[in-house]
This record gives sequence, structure tokens and C-alpha cells, in this order.
Amino acid sequence: MNPSPAVRSFTAQWQARGADALSAVRDEAMQRFIKLGVPTTHDETWRYTNLRSLTAQSYVDAPRMSRPQIEPHGSLSLLSKTDRAAALLVVNGYPIVPMPDGLIDGVEINTLQELSRIDPKVLLRFLQPLSDADQQRWNLLNTALFVDGLHLKITHSVAVPLLILHVSASEHDHNIAFPRIIIEVAAGAGATIIEHHVAQGPHTPLNNSTTHIALERGAHLEHYRVFATGAAATHLDSLNIRQEQDSRCKQFTIALGGGLVRASLEARLEKRGASLDSYSLLVGHEHRHVDCVNIVTHAAPGTHSTQTARAIAGDDSRVVFNSKVIVDAGAVNAESQQSCRGLLLSPSAEIDTRPQLEIHADEVKCAHGATIGRLDPDMLFYMLSRGLDRDTAQSLLVFAFLSDVLTGMSVASARTAIENALIVQLPDSQTLQKFR
Amino acid sequence: MKITDLSARVGGKNILNGINLEVHAGEVHAIMGPNGSGKSTLAQVLAGREDYEVTGGSVSFEGLDLLAMPPEERARAGLFLGFQYPVEIPGVNNVYLLKAALNAKRKAAGEPEVDAYEFLTLIRQKMKVMQMSESFLTRGVNEGFSGGEKKRNEVLQMLILEPKLAILDETDSGLDIDALKVVSAGVNSLRSPKRAVVLVTHYQRLLDYVVPDRVHVLSGGRILKSGDAALAHELEQRGYDWVLETRVA
Repeated sequence: MNPSPAVRSFTAQWQARGADALSAVRDEAMQRFIKLGVPTTHDETWRYTNLRSLTAQSYVDAPRMSRPQIEPHGSLSLLSKTDRAAALLVVNGYPIVPMPDGLIDGVEINTLQELSRIDPKVLLRFLQPLSDADQQRWNLLNTALFVDGLHLKITHSVAVPLLILHVSASEHDHNIAFPRIIIEVAAGAGATIIEHHVAQGPHTPLNNSTTHIALERGAHLEHYRVFATGAAATHLDSLNIRQEQDSRCKQFTIALGGGLVRASLEARLEKRGASLDSYSLLVGHEHRHVDCVNIVTHAAPGTHSTQTARAIAGDDSRVVFNSKVIVDAGAVNAESQQSCRGLLLSPSAEIDTRPQLEIHADEVKCAHGATIGRLDPDMLFYMLSRGLDRDTAQSLLVFAFLSDVLTGMSVASARTAIENALIVQLPDSQTLQKFR
Repeated sequence: MKITDLSARVGGKNILNGINLEVHAGEVHAIMGPNGSGKSTLAQVLAGREDYEVTGGSVSFEGLDLLAMPPEERARAGLFLGFQYPVEIPGVNNVYLLKAALNAKRKAAGEPEVDAYEFLTLIRQKMKVMQMSESFLTRGVNEGFSGGEKKRNEVLQMLILEPKLAILDETDSGLDIDALKVVSAGVNSLRSPKRAVVLVTHYQRLLDYVVPDRVHVLSGGRILKSGDAALAHELEQRGYDWVLETRVA
């Protein structure tokens, strides 16, 4: 089969890249990507997301830009003004230097270019995919083609939340960007990191972003990825998490924007006592297509994971949430819970969800549940009978539905900003604003 | 409110078969009747429940064609339904709902929105009447409430919204005697020459505390007998069969 225009253009980009310290690994990744090809709806985790129009295009690298050219719009005020010092800017995958290094206690920040000079071994550790899973192929492409990115090493507990603002910006159509973020949290250290994807300018590059997180023993991290780009944006985002003993991770995936958002999460709980709580808030609006897939592997005894997904779909949108928990042989006393709930707000919207379990160990506690429905008519009638507008009542019920995710957020400013962005995508945003 | 020949069905089954009833400002009416007589259906139809199909008749309320109005407009016009089984709405705060409800009513009347401080003062004052705990303020609507707490909350909402016509659907059921007294005191505090109350109830005991001006016996979707407060006592002693039998005779 002939490679598609997209794959041909990726290959051309690959051939144009100069050799670097990572060439061997990159080469391997590229060969695997070419072999696997762009996923189609025949691939298990891509059943509901058709990339045909993407595959038919050719892509070139999105431009490198400098700070004065950057005026992102639509960015949410995820941090309060007092927390602002800790914002890092990444445009089309390129970190904007100088960065506010030294301003934040407990964090060492390097660009990946610097890191590949200083300590390529660290970088190499993060280039191997966590698994052979289908969903790793965009990760492979990023490995082959990323030029720069950020490495954050959390050495002590960091008091303020860190914001990484990803800006997608281009003057031309059919650009592609390969943002790559690596977050390492040292033993016993902890941080809150927010990755916020926004867009600027007439065209938004195709975003093939990856984030790798490694938590050492007893480390803890609260991580957010917030997609708030315009309707023209396509995100293929891969998040990879590896956790050591007694580490704790709380992860929020918030899809509030973009035309097509594919957000994957793959986590490995490698050592005893590692714990992951994943929250997904997936908002389908207008023609948006959101596809979220989580694969969590319990590779050690006494590991713990929860997945809480709340999806709403209005207009002609479609939201997909697939999650899978794998308990390896020997991971006794593992505990996992998957709760996926979807709420349809229009007759032409669609939600698909499928929680799965694959258990190879005895003595485990795993539960999963999935429901998709419409607003409860009894609740709606109750509110109408108190005189509320239908739109207001519906929106309050939507908020209530999403509260399991929203109330889990520790960063109050982020929660408020996310709620505000959510409100404008609901019926009767004006009345709801008054409740803020 | 004037109900004329009202018929309605639910799920293809005729439940109301020609109800005629007039309730004037200042009056308290009690609608009694055995289970399945159509009492709750009448309450729900008046509030505008959509899955209840009106098959005939009319209802005028303050000169308005009530049946032509959606439920939210009925509420803003001054109709209030106290639910027999108030639904729990986790995640929607009690205070949010009350404030939104009050503001919707004020907006319809061309009044400005309620001031936040003023509202909180009002709600605390009414909570005192209903003997409700502070924790109510932070909880979701009816979330985790006991049966009695839910009924108190219904009456609290009524006291805040000050409806022209309150229909209380078995607000007394499931209450112990202390809660019944509190709920009754709440209802009595709303009694005024400008307001009317319709108590839908299965038992007479509520009527010891809220004494009605008129009592109606509903059966088979029709009002079989009407009388004054004494009728309720007679029913208590003789049972509903007595009305049904005398009717047949």
C-alpha cells in the first residue's frame, strides 16, 4: 500500500532532520510509525475517530516564533495573579527562552536541546514508548520528529502551581508541531503542573504533543492538561506516566476546545503503593470530536487507580471515552475503579464509552461502570416548577453532573477558569454567570 | 383558581375524569381520597408535568389559562407545588436553586434581583421557622435528606417564594408528630387573605393543625363529596368506603 500524503510528508521531515545524539532511537521510532501507519477506524482504540481528512494532507513544520510575536487568545486564567510568576511559554513545541529559571524554588528547567547536550541519557530514558499499544504511534512520530521541548525536574516540593502555556500559531495551513514535555518528580518531592493548550492566528498547526511523567518513590504530582483551542484545531496528545513506590498522581484531562481532540493517557504503576487518580472532563460542543483513551497498568502489588470521566455532548458533537485497566500477574491487592458517565444534550450528539478490565492476578478489587443518558426529567421538572428557565435548569444540572470532576481540582483558580469556560458552552450562560 | 371538567391521563390510562373545583384567595382546601384516586395526578397536572396528558377541561388561574402555560411560567405566576417525593439533585446547591427561583419570580414581576445579603437574611429567618440546620445551606438540593427534611425543604421553598396558590401533595406523609407540627406551622404562617392553599392528603391528622375551609373527597378521578372541616373528621371515623357507598346509594 502506498503511504498516504501525510506519511510521505512526515518522512520528508524526517529526512530533512540533522543527525543528533538521539538519532538511533528516533530512527527506530520512525520506522515503527511508518510500519504502523496512521491509525484507521479498524484499529481497536481508534474505532470512533476517523483521521482520513488528516491523512490526505501533507504537513510541514510549524514555525519557530519569538516572544513578541505571541499574543495567544482564548487562554484561560488558570492561575491567579499571585501565581503568575511560574508560567512557561512553549510555542509550536519550542520553549521561549529565557525562561523564568531560578525564580521557582525546587524546579530545574531545561530545554530538551540543552538536555540532549548536558545529559542525553536522561532524555533517552523518556524516548522509549511505555508499551506497544496502538495508541502509542503518535508518540512514536513525536519521538522521531520533535526538535525541542521542556524538561522539568522537581527536586523539592513546589509551593506554587506551574503553568506551561502551549501556543499553537501559524500563518499557513497544514503545519504540524511536536511539543514534548518531560516532568520528573524526585523522591518525596511534589508539584502541581498545568499544561494549557491555546491557539493564535489564522491557522492552527496539527498538534502532535507528548508529555512524559515519571514519579519517583513517594513523589506526588497534580497534573492538568487543558485543551482550549478553536474549532479548527486538531490535537493528538499522548500522556505517559510512570510511577514508583508510594507515588501519587492526580491527573485532569479537560477538553473544552479544539475541533478534534484525541487525548490518550497511558500509565504504569510500577511499584507497590503507587496510586493514580485520573479525571476527565470532556465537553462536546458544536461539531467538536473528543476522543479520550486511558490505559492504566497495575504492574505491582498494592497499587491503586481511579478513573472518573464525565462527558457531555451537545449540538452535533461526539465524545468518546475508552478506558482499560490491566492488572499484571503478581499485582495482588491492586484496586481500581472506573466510572464513566455521559450526558447527551442534543438529539444529534453522540457519546461512546467502554470501560474494560484485563485481570491476570488474584485478590484484586476492580470495579467499573458506565452510563450514558439524558437529563433526568424529574430533576428538570422540579426546577421548572420552581420557576427556573429551562436553559438555566439544564445548565445547572449539567454542572451538577460534572461536579465529581470539578470538585477534585485543588487549584481553585484553575477550577474557576475552567467552570467559566464551560459555562459559555452551555445554554443560558448569562444566568449561570451570576452564580459564580 | 377555577378547575372546570378537568380530565387527564397518564400512560394511556384515564386518571382524572371531570374535576370541578374553585379555590379562592384566603381559602384552605383539603383534597382527600383513597390511594389511586387521582390526588397526586391532579397536583402534577396543575403544576404542568409534561408526561401527564390533559384530555379535556380547563383551569383558569388569576384569569390566566393555566393549562396553556409551561411549568416555569405557572410557578412565576404564583403557583407552587410541594412534591410528595421531592427529587434529590446532587451538585445543585439548595441556596442556588432558591435564589434562582426567587429571582425568576421577581424578574417576571418586573422587580430587581434579590440582594445577596437580604436573601441570606430571609433564608435564615425561614429556616428558623422550619427548624432546619445550618448544614442545609451548603448541601445539594434534597441530597441525602431524610423524608422529613425533604418535606421541610418543600415548605421552606414555599415560604420564600410566597406563592398565591400552594398545592401541597402529601406533605404530611412520613412525618413524625414533631415534624408535622413544624410543617403545619410553616403552612399556617403563609395563610393570608391573599393566598390560597390546597392540601392533598390521605389522612386527617394534618387537618388538626391546618384547619381547612373546604374538604373534598376524590375518588375515581372525580370529586364525590365536598364539605367543611367536619367532613374530614367524619371520613376519619367512617373511612372512604362510606363516601363511596353513600354515592352509590
